[in-house]
Amino acid sequence: MSDFGFHLAFWSLAAMTLGGASMIMISRNLIHAVIWLVMSMLGIAGLYLTLSADFIAVVQVLIYVGAISVLMLFAIMLTPRAERDNSQTKASAPAALVVILVMISTLWVAVDTDWGAVREAALTEQARLIGESLIKHYILPFEIGAVLLTAALVGAIALARQDDEDAAVHAASLQAELEGEESIDPVDVVDPPIVSDTEATS
Amino acid sequence: MTIGLEHYLALGAILFCIGFFIALSKKNAVGVLIGVELMLNAVNLTLVAFSRFGSAEVALSTQVFVVFIIAVAAAEVAVGLALALVVYRNRQTISVDRTTLLKG
Repeated sequence: MSDFGFHLAFWSLAAMTLGGASMIMISRNLIHAVIWLVMSMLGIAGLYLTLSADFIAVVQVLIYVGAISVLMLFAIMLTPRAERDNSQTKASAPAALVVILVMISTLWVAVDTDWGAVREAALTEQARLIGESLIKHYILPFEIGAVLLTAALVGAIALARQDDEDAAVHAASLQAELEGEESIDPVDVVDPPIVSDTEATS
Repeated sequence: MTIGLEHYLALGAILFCIGFFIALSKKNAVGVLIGVELMLNAVNLTLVAFSRFGSAEVALSTQVFVVFIIAVAAAEVAVGLALALVVYRNRQTISVDRTTLLKG
């Protein structure tokens, strides 16, 4: 790769990544924020390519750009009555102070330390090497990661699954919303309707 | 001036801090998760940079580490979004300012 092309790739991908991240901070709409996150993730995938990490770059595009952003969009669209705006809490001024301190110290460490960087030839056949070392050296963490993913997915389904009565209440509140009535008080929604039935029979 | 390890480390540090600020300052729970994802990606970028500018053994093990981080991040975001859905179902909001049940 020619030096000029490498410079162009690095700086434009860095601008894309940081620009996307900054637009997440600025943008008022949460869905736009997720779209900017996708742009930032694509920039990071390109930066992995400039670092000759092709397998990681493909994984990044598949998982972050493909899966996690869609998951986030689903979560936003499944919470229709929550606030759509991407506003900031009252704690953002002290948060900015802390973040600026962290940024100064990490940047100083990153630039000032002698990392002893060596520019060897990049790994070739990375997918094969990573797969082999996952099966040989890292077999125990690999299995633990598999169990963790399974547990997390089962837990996520168990958390997000609606009980039958919850589903009925939720459908009733959505129906009321569609008919343009007053929005139902959250307390009413939380109370299961079973209670009134048992009171009526007793 | 050639682009070296320091450029990638500085980029990762700035990206981490932007993600940190988003995670600390956003009102919406999904916004907080977006910030956490940015922080994890900044760490991954730093690790891949070390992998490129390190020796061969370091290169391989850091890439395996990055694969594990991506797997754990996927698990984390799945559970986090499911929690956001449950909070929304019970409280009709996912604003972290208004979920104050534990406030004394």
